[in-house]
Amino acid sequence: MITVKNLHKSFGDVHVLTGIDEHISKGEVVVIIGPSGSGKSTFLRCLNLLEQPTAGEIYIDDQLITSPGADVNLIRQKMGMVFQQFNLFPHLTIMENITLAPVKLKKMSKQDAIKKGMELLERVGLAEKANNYPSQLSGGQKQRVAIARALAMQPEIMLFDEPTSALDPEMVGEVLDVMKDLADSGMTMVVVTHEMGFAREVGTRLLFMDQGIVMEQGAPEEVFSNPRNERTQSFLSKVL
Amino acid sequence: MIGLTEWWNDLVATFVKCFIREDRYMLLLDGIGITIKISLLAVVIGIAIGLVIAFCNLSKSKILNLFGRIYTDIIRGTPSVTQLMIIYFVVFATVNWEKWIIAAIAFGINSGAYVSEIIRAGILSIDKGQAEAGRSLGLNAAQTMSYIVIPQAVKNIFPALCNEFIVLIKETAIVGYIGLVDIQKAGDFIKSQTFEAFMPLIATAIIYFVLIKILTVIMARVEKALRKSEAK
Repeated sequence: MITVKNLHKSFGDVHVLTGIDEHISKGEVVVIIGPSGSGKSTFLRCLNLLEQPTAGEIYIDDQLITSPGADVNLIRQKMGMVFQQFNLFPHLTIMENITLAPVKLKKMSKQDAIKKGMELLERVGLAEKANNYPSQLSGGQKQRVAIARALAMQPEIMLFDEPTSALDPEMVGEVLDVMKDLADSGMTMVVVTHEMGFAREVGTRLLFMDQGIVMEQGAPEEVFSNPRNERTQSFLSKVL
Repeated sequence: MIGLTEWWNDLVATFVKCFIREDRYMLLLDGIGITIKISLLAVVIGIAIGLVIAFCNLSKSKILNLFGRIYTDIIRGTPSVTQLMIIYFVVFATVNWEKWIIAAIAFGINSGAYVSEIIRAGILSIDKGQAEAGRSLGLNAAQTMSYIVIPQAVKNIFPALCNEFIVLIKETAIVGYIGLVDIQKAGDFIKSQTFEAFMPLIATAIIYFVLIKILTVIMARVEKALRKSEAK
């Protein structure tokens, strides 16, 4: 579903990604962990071209999205993204946040989008907030809405960029529950996170990134209990 | 007591002399019309030019950046009365349009430079994550701008824009230089016809003040309405 070949990304003189080769299959829940500055978020943001890779190739369903002629906007419609800072649109109601893209991009009529929006809000447990504004919601609620908003475009892949890092501890659980549900429903997910419990429980594969490359990967249980790479060992000893 | 009556009678007599005799109040009324006409048209032109220049400055194109910067530099670096005279006596020298329209164009060109900076700052004030969220949903750059960034920027821009319009209205008091009789020039005429300075000049000040006060009240209401959605 996603194939990455020799991906590089530099910001000026800083080489953040230094050659990533990776393949992610349909239905996988790939969890990316690693120290800050290891390039996890940049890797994720390259997948939907929020960051333009400096070199390398990314294929989504065999389509080379890093080629100059690729229709980036169409590709992004297939990939939902959830941000650390939620990034809900503060001038729109919750329902408008969810229906904006499907309606403007002519994926659905307004009525259909609202119906679908209600379904999604029920799924994340926030149906009664449909007509509220984002500023009236707690952090956990905002993130659940952000997930619903991304799902409204009926994406095939969901990208999560540290979705619980900006939340108060007591709200982390409600967001992880929604993500777990989503994983159970068969969604292909790529999740950058510091939640090791989630990684272990929900992840089908764990990538440990450091210094701009994937240092080690495998089944979460295996990597957690028996890390082979020295850097993985040192990182896990600090966070577990 | 007698002093007060005398003073009052004097005041009334001067008032009559300045404004009632020879229908001189008409000068002021016509002046108000001219000031309002110029200001309104200039505001529209100013916003249009401001938008264009703001997008030049925000664009990735080096040439557009340069154009925007030069425009803003020239306008900010020269007095508006000089600009007005150049537009009227040089640029439009051979064009036979009504004077007030040419004046409005001159003020619009001037205001555009300041408005562009206000708009640019307003757009930059919106968190980058907002645009990223829009783009991540598949909206293109123009859709993201018009549905997500600009509606939020308008709220931030509005107060500064109001301030710019107030400055603009007062700035029009120099149109006497190209022979237009606005509020200021009307007051000046009355002064020279009656040899009274106090009454016509104070009247001029009061008229400007009231006009701007009315505008301020309207703008405050609009601003309140704009803020409604996020205030809760």
